Amino acid sequence: MGVPYIPVRGLAGTDVFKRRDDMLIAPNPFDPSEETVVALAQNPDVAILHALRADRDGNALLRKHGEDVMIAQASHRVIVTAEEIVNRVTADDEGGQFISAINVTAVVHAPHGAHPTAVPGRYDTDRDHILEYVRASTGDDAFRAYLAKYVLGKSEAEYQALVRGGVPVAGGGGS
Amino acid sequence: MTNAVACNTAELLAILMSREVRDREISACGAISMIPASAMLLAEATHAPNAEIIVLGSEQLSRDLGKDIHFLSQRGKLDLFFHSAIQFDAEGNFNLHVIGDPNRPDVRMPGGYGSGLMSYTAKRILFFRTEHTRRTFVEKVDFVSGAGRTPPSIRRPQEPFLIFTPLAVLRFDRQEGRYSLASVHEGHTPQEVQERTGFSLGSLDGVPVTPPPTNEEITTLRTVVKQRMIETGTYPEWAVTELQPA
Repeated sequence: MGVPYIPVRGLAGTDVFKRRDDMLIAPNPFDPSEETVVALAQNPDVAILHALRADRDGNALLRKHGEDVMIAQASHRVIVTAEEIVNRVTADDEGGQFISAINVTAVVHAPHGAHPTAVPGRYDTDRDHILEYVRASTGDDAFRAYLAKYVLGKSEAEYQALVRGGVPVAGGGGS
Repeated sequence: MTNAVACNTAELLAILMSREVRDREISACGAISMIPASAMLLAEATHAPNAEIIVLGSEQLSRDLGKDIHFLSQRGKLDLFFHSAIQFDAEGNFNLHVIGDPNRPDVRMPGGYGSGLMSYTAKRILFFRTEHTRRTFVEKVDFVSGAGRTPPSIRRPQEPFLIFTPLAVLRFDRQEGRYSLASVHEGHTPQEVQERTGFSLGSLDGVPVTPPPTNEEITTLRTVVKQRMIETGTYPEWAVTELQPA
């Protein structure tokens, strides 16, 4: 949208304001007897979004639900990771939300790239892995162990092999 | 044995809250809201056949709303929203964020969103809690996720909110800024409820007994509602575990 801030109803009197400086209470300029929350625009430097498919120009079909398109429109740079790369993605494609290449900085072919979350119709949430991650996140040592096991020094192929029980990802990623 | 005793806590709360769902209104609950979901489905199966029901965690009953539920509520068109919290305090504030020091919390809860927005914009709010203890009903919450009272400059429905617990129904009057006991369930006394609440509930005289669950409500919950939850992908595992055999 490109707006500097946006008004929203709610939150008045909460401790949220003690912990954030990007929201405040301000009068409605059209009716000063009313006050609302005014929230500062959030413009991430980089957004990384996972797509069902993308083309080489950067046109992509993002997940059907959620705020991915809005995040892409708000961010300065957008990296799209995609289950598959196809010749052309258009606004008429079904199964997801279209995002134009004009918003996209880079495209990465990353089959199974949403792991451990799901891509509906392709693969389910890996609940065991999420539980493992949650357990690891309760302490610094446990988290370092998690990073050593799955992330640091691991290639994408090695990560996918680890989490898929050694089964390599097929080209299209579909299952 | 009375019917109230025969129900488990989840069933009791679902039945009592179902009575607050009105026909032809729009009622909604957020994700991970099994008891409210069953309450709304019970209302639909009994006194509110034309109620509009939104269960955000459900495969089939979430109505593909996405952001629409937020906009609907911001426009003031959401009639009823269900809410839980880990703490409530004497000022009518509730906490759905953290227990302990917010900078180093003992427990961190997921509830930032619904607390701060839906509880200010939905016309009526029903809270529920599966325990009634002094650790839940405290003098002062550890973190204010939603305020009981706000200045007049904040445009907000002023309907009292209700809290349903295994012991009683509490009512908070936003204008007067105080709690009262709306009713106490069979088998409990106002004195017992006050004893287990960390702030004043006002007068304990003349508090009515909560009308206990009827056989029809219990049977419908355990048959029609249970089946509907299973068929629509609305917390089917919970329905099988928590809703007892008919």
